[in-house]
Amino acid sequence: MESNVLKPILAVYVALFVLFLYGPFIVLGILSFQQGPEGGPQFPIIEWSTYWYRHLFGMVPPSRIAPLPVGEALIRSLILAFMTMVTATVLGVMAAQAFRRRFRGAGVVFYLIVLGMMVPGVLTGLGTSLLANNVLDIERHWYTTAFVAHVVYTFPFAFLVMLAILNRFDSSVEEASWSLGVSPIRTFRKVTFPLIFPGVLSAMLFAFTLSFDEFPRTLFASGRDQTLPLAIYGTFSVEIHPNIFAFGVMTTLFSFALLAVYGILMGLSVRRAKKMAMQEEIA
Amino acid sequence: MDYDLQLRNVYKTYDNGTPAVIDFNIDVEKGEFIAFLGPSGCGKSTTLRMISGFETVTKGDLLIRGNRVNDQLPEKRPTSMIFQNYALFPHMNVRQNVRFGLEVKGTPKVEADAKVDGILEKLDLLGIADLATTRLSGGQRQRIALARSLVVEPDILLLDEPLGALDANLRKSIQNELKLLQHDLGITFVFVTHAQSEALALSDRIVVMNAGRVEQISPPRELYTRPSSNFVARFIGSNTIIPGTVQRDKDDVVTLDTAFGLLSGSNRAGHSASAGDKMSIVLPAEAVDLVPSDVDAAKIRADFGSNTIHCTIARLQIVGHIMQMVVQLENGEMLDVEGHVDKYRDRLKAGGTAFLAWRSAAATVIDS
Repeated sequence: MESNVLKPILAVYVALFVLFLYGPFIVLGILSFQQGPEGGPQFPIIEWSTYWYRHLFGMVPPSRIAPLPVGEALIRSLILAFMTMVTATVLGVMAAQAFRRRFRGAGVVFYLIVLGMMVPGVLTGLGTSLLANNVLDIERHWYTTAFVAHVVYTFPFAFLVMLAILNRFDSSVEEASWSLGVSPIRTFRKVTFPLIFPGVLSAMLFAFTLSFDEFPRTLFASGRDQTLPLAIYGTFSVEIHPNIFAFGVMTTLFSFALLAVYGILMGLSVRRAKKMAMQEEIA
Repeated sequence: MDYDLQLRNVYKTYDNGTPAVIDFNIDVEKGEFIAFLGPSGCGKSTTLRMISGFETVTKGDLLIRGNRVNDQLPEKRPTSMIFQNYALFPHMNVRQNVRFGLEVKGTPKVEADAKVDGILEKLDLLGIADLATTRLSGGQRQRIALARSLVVEPDILLLDEPLGALDANLRKSIQNELKLLQHDLGITFVFVTHAQSEALALSDRIVVMNAGRVEQISPPRELYTRPSSNFVARFIGSNTIIPGTVQRDKDDVVTLDTAFGLLSGSNRAGHSASAGDKMSIVLPAEAVDLVPSDVDAAKIRADFGSNTIHCTIARLQIVGHIMQMVVQLENGEMLDVEGHVDKYRDRLKAGGTAFLAWRSAAATVIDS
């Protein structure tokens, strides 16, 4: 009786969830195949074409619509996301490692770290720029001020992921290693790190994706050269053409590719464990 | 005398001020099998962790082979630890686990191979050397942990409740293996347990701990026959403890005035006993005889002196050549008595009356 009522409600709920999650992307995806260069960013589709994809790569004759100025911005954003990922993950692992021992003021430090993801982004970005310009006399660039702002933002995510992983970590394997005469540094490298590696991957993924599409913190902090989200926003303020949609589809596919890499790396470590278990069954 | 391990006035106090170990003193000879025995929270594991270096010593001296190691890091100490959950490295197979300590030490490959094969062979692990540890049985994992620790040739092997996670049958067989292994290798074992049967079966000496303090350090047999404190008498074996007041102390036989009359036991622990002191008499279950009440009183007196207590037999069971009885004293207290089947077996019946009787040498007096 109960499930007769509940089931349809849950089904509708899931359908709505999927619709809101993928709907926008699907609409963008469809509109990216609009006819060009006359077709605009709205329905109906005049004629299906890959014009805007070719436009993206400069493979169409020049028209009144300028090519999307994102090439350099894309490279910048990728480099920035990579730098942020490495820094935030290293800091996150180290900080989470430190929190395994209860130290004086641990509570305060915890909230200070987590504050990085709570504070409104625009303010952080603005504050970082002001601090750099007026106090520290550092020029604003995507690789200076924006980088710092991104690390401050993504570090808490990496930290929290690692904290959750280390919380479930059985430290007696580390003690066992020490008691075999292995120094703490080597123990970390040979025992702890391989065991927390899946968590490290997750932290890296978080940091990379958060930095890659970060807008508010970058707005004031990136200086002269824009990152990808800023460059895209810049083109909105003039006029929107379906080439943006085509670009959106491309970047989304890129993100999926990234997830696939993550999945493969995870799968490899799981399969390794499985393989060893199988050897046992044969024997 | 050269000692492998010495603790001198060792204290451990946690940061919040809680004392965990209070004034621990012991000298352990090379090749001794020592058990720390006590209820959970008594400080036995903390002491073991201080020896391994995982916990700092708050006060006192910790010496291994004569060197003070208070400030030495765990990886520098010649100790190795076996954990209750085995703490095997899940990302390595059996051989890699065992080899790990040697590899990191930089032992030459040929030498390391020989050592690893040797210990795998000794512990009957060669057949599973290339398997993952994650799905092996508890007994196998236990042996892997032992192999991993022994291959680095520690001076002292520390074992923290190593049999706690095994089922009863396996526990017995691993117990025997451990004892043989220790005898074979001749290295010092320090073993923490809360199970007295393990401690009694394995160790040369037992350290009984309670609430952070050492209650008694004795060979297993002596813990039974000469408990030196109320706690040990209650904790070890199955003893009956009867409180009383000292009446006299003659040739180390102390006579107490108790609710059951004048009872005596020997003062083995050498407590000072002057008339009027409050002391207790400890009757080990297997040291007491049960005499039918129709036996001639003069004969009982001749055999046992005044050491008799009148009781009713509540239950009686003969298992092989052992009589197991539950008797009720006149004050209502029930107690277990165990003894060899003897000449009175036909005259002892459930529901009948009898005397509990013992020779003074079989009982011990302790401070109450």
